Amino acid sequence: MSDREITVTVNGTVHTALVEPRRTLADFLRHTLGLTATHLGCEHGVCGACTVLLDGEAVRSCLALAVHADGHEVTTVEGIAEPGQMHPVQTALWESGAFQCGFCTPGFVMTIYGMERDARAGRGCPRSRTEIREELSGNICRCSGYQAIVDGAEAALTAATGSASGSETRR
Amino acid sequence: MSSSVVGGLVGARIKRREDVRILTGAGRYIDDVHERNTLTCHFVRSTLPHARISGCDVAAAREMEGVVAVITGDEMAQFTNPINLGAPIPGLNSPSFTALATGTVRYVGEPVALVVASDRYVAEDAASLIEIDYDPLEPVVSTTQALADGAPQLFDEVPGNVIHSGEIAVGDIDAAFAEADHVVTDRLDQHRWTCAPMEGRGGVATYDRSTGVLTYEASTQTSHLMRLLVAGFINQPIHLMRVVTSDIGGSFGLKFSMYREDVALCAAAKHLGVSLKWVEDRNENLTAGGSARDETLTIDAAVKADGTLLGFRVNMVMNHGAYPVMPPAPVVTGIAGHMLPGPYRVPAYRFTSTAACTNKASYISLRGPWAVETLVRERMMDLIAKRVGISPVEVRQRNLIPVTEQPTMSGAGFTLDGVTAAETFARLTEMIDLDEIRAQQEKARAEGRLVGFGVGTFYEPAPGTPEFWGLIGFPFSAEPVRLRVEPDGHITAFTTQIPHGQGHETTLAQVIADEMGVAFDDVRIVFGDTDATVFTMIGTGGSKAGMMATGGAMVAAREVRARVLDIAAHMLEASPSDLQIENSVISVKGAPGSAVPLADLAMGCYMAPGMMPQGVDLNLETTAHYDGENGGWGQGSHACWVEIDQETGKIAVTRYLVVEDCGKIINPAVVDGQVIGGIAMGLGGMLLEHAAYGEDGQYLAGTFMDYLMPSAPEVPEIEIEHLEYQAPTMVGSRGVGEGGTVLAPAALLNAVDDAFGQVEAGRITATPLTPTKVLQALGVIED
Repeated sequence: MSDREITVTVNGTVHTALVEPRRTLADFLRHTLGLTATHLGCEHGVCGACTVLLDGEAVRSCLALAVHADGHEVTTVEGIAEPGQMHPVQTALWESGAFQCGFCTPGFVMTIYGMERDARAGRGCPRSRTEIREELSGNICRCSGYQAIVDGAEAALTAATGSASGSETRR
Repeated sequence: MSSSVVGGLVGARIKRREDVRILTGAGRYIDDVHERNTLTCHFVRSTLPHARISGCDVAAAREMEGVVAVITGDEMAQFTNPINLGAPIPGLNSPSFTALATGTVRYVGEPVALVVASDRYVAEDAASLIEIDYDPLEPVVSTTQALADGAPQLFDEVPGNVIHSGEIAVGDIDAAFAEADHVVTDRLDQHRWTCAPMEGRGGVATYDRSTGVLTYEASTQTSHLMRLLVAGFINQPIHLMRVVTSDIGGSFGLKFSMYREDVALCAAAKHLGVSLKWVEDRNENLTAGGSARDETLTIDAAVKADGTLLGFRVNMVMNHGAYPVMPPAPVVTGIAGHMLPGPYRVPAYRFTSTAACTNKASYISLRGPWAVETLVRERMMDLIAKRVGISPVEVRQRNLIPVTEQPTMSGAGFTLDGVTAAETFARLTEMIDLDEIRAQQEKARAEGRLVGFGVGTFYEPAPGTPEFWGLIGFPFSAEPVRLRVEPDGHITAFTTQIPHGQGHETTLAQVIADEMGVAFDDVRIVFGDTDATVFTMIGTGGSKAGMMATGGAMVAAREVRARVLDIAAHMLEASPSDLQIENSVISVKGAPGSAVPLADLAMGCYMAPGMMPQGVDLNLETTAHYDGENGGWGQGSHACWVEIDQETGKIAVTRYLVVEDCGKIINPAVVDGQVIGGIAMGLGGMLLEHAAYGEDGQYLAGTFMDYLMPSAPEVPEIEIEHLEYQAPTMVGSRGVGEGGTVLAPAALLNAVDDAFGQVEAGRITATPLTPTKVLQALGVIED
């Protein structure tokens, strides 16, 4: 099959590229654009390490094709804070000592970032630790046993909820 | 100067410096490495567990656009040497094998050919065009099959498929059983499960034709051993071989060994004169990366009427898989055998072991590779309690050796000293109320719920002692650290540890900053690069770093600090013993006006040594070795609460309590992370994970939809209490990385047994604890 031209906005920058229709969004980000923060842990949609936001929704970039992103906006870990800075979600996870080897980390950051954005916008977010664990069940971490990730997510979501007006608890 | 924390770093919950790059996505994992013109490799792997290769047609693949090379097993054998990873160990029948299979394949996933192409899509397309003809041979899957008379032999060099057999005998075991009031027996068939780090194996091998240097950037725990072994197997002069590591996406024992893929990749890079990348995908990792545990133990305990242990008689059979990797089988069975009597008084002991060769992927180390000993022993303690009519708490209290009765001999015949398992267990029992737990269980049963409670205790070589490792036949090596004060007063230290989640860049900087009187941010830890670090056989592994790397950092820092003080003593006209270093300034205690900045002193030593004090050592760099001060042990006790759903068979861990003692804690967040992560792994291994093979030798768990990893909802909140027993050593810290995974299965299974016991259900002796087995044990469904 012949290559297709796609135009994708990644972290605010518009990229136009020729890609094979079978190329995954993850490989497009990592190898075509050189944005290697997005990691591949299973390539079959279970581990969540490759989670990015596509038009604001968390998706697995290993299961999406680059051509799916044509005309859409993608946000990766590289795009959530200014270079040299951390987003409050990242700071909270740093404070809580959330991660060890760090390979799963970008996926968790993007999942929690998506939740935190909802919280800030007053759209509600998981509040209890049990709810947070359930929301994080699509991301696998082999090192941490999750507890410190939940600590960081809880801190970030609490702060975000406090700053939002008219927030509600989503069940 | 730096704005970072000064002083009091050791023991503080310092945020990890690794996390800055990890959290922002700036890490350099192996697939992030891209040398100029790097080509991609893909291994074609065996689809049969045991077969003769009768044909290999690679012509169509070679003609594909974008394919640079296809290398068959026979071709690879022309520029590599046979691989053998265990030959020098007496009694070990360690077969040699080729980097890619030649003649025979012996497990599903064995590499048979290597495709080199412009990118991974092309490489995998080409691989699909390769046709390999196999003549199937009878597969040997279980150890029973492997050890049966007339079983197919996997290797000529491995008679009877026995890789190794061993024995440990201490005391008069026959007398112990003769005088026993009770003999309690048990059996455990532990299933195969695996490390499954989120990043699999991989590397980038780059051959520089102009210099002849081969650089291998690899995802490995042991860069120097990798360098030594690969160089030998590909005929590369070792001084022209460099192994580099950067960020490593977890390992848990998987990346301790060198693998044949490393040899094939490096050999191909050298042969083609290019840069080659191989990053295994999840299917390869689960199928071909090897897996662990997979062992059968039988145990008889001789016990007095009051529950006092008289002796253990144990047999262990390990399903070794086909090809030996590091560590060799006798190291695993040896540690298991020597640790099995545990922190208890065991007057007589006999342990026999057999490692049997089968048509499975290699048996690899997994976080506490010997852990089955704790699982079997701690379940036995509960069986003994039940037999003699005392509680699981009491049976342990009657047999544990308190630290005040040490040094003494362990049940396996080596010196126990400073082992505080009894003290951790005493603290654990203070934190629980067994009567209240029993009352709650009764109440739950009245409501139709089934709630179990279990405990366990253990100790582990973290790092162990020279005497202990001598019995295993594995070296207890001193730990080198190279350290220098830079011309601006900052410090660079080179560790032989290869951190892959343990946070050594932070913890070793904490230790050195405190020792040197400089700020945390003024210390950089360099690791992994064999061109920069000092040789050790093991990089990070065996829970060594807590004591050994800390000790190396301390002795190196103290040596350089002493030189700094000698120099400053001349400059300040004071005695070195009257000097202090605070915030990178050397000053006379009580006379802060008499001071010299470390940066000025260092610049002088490097740039104007003739103008510096003479007759003292102006070299601000040293390589110091820490001998381990005769080593030490880690220990802990766990309590686990479960609720079993009697309709679905699901086991939920509802509470988990830990008392651990790794001595002096350098960074509580790091220690807690190791403990919690280890327990999550132990629970996942028992409840969810199964590297399953069919009876035909096919591998059945090649994705994360088949190999189930614990996710956040399955892991309980874990409560941790620390004891910090201080041995009379310079280094008060010991290892903590493996214990959670070692002990959690025992506490969990004891809790499940406790629940089953309340409703007179059966007992599961073959793990994992799947819902099906739970419902069978409960009599809900038939076996």
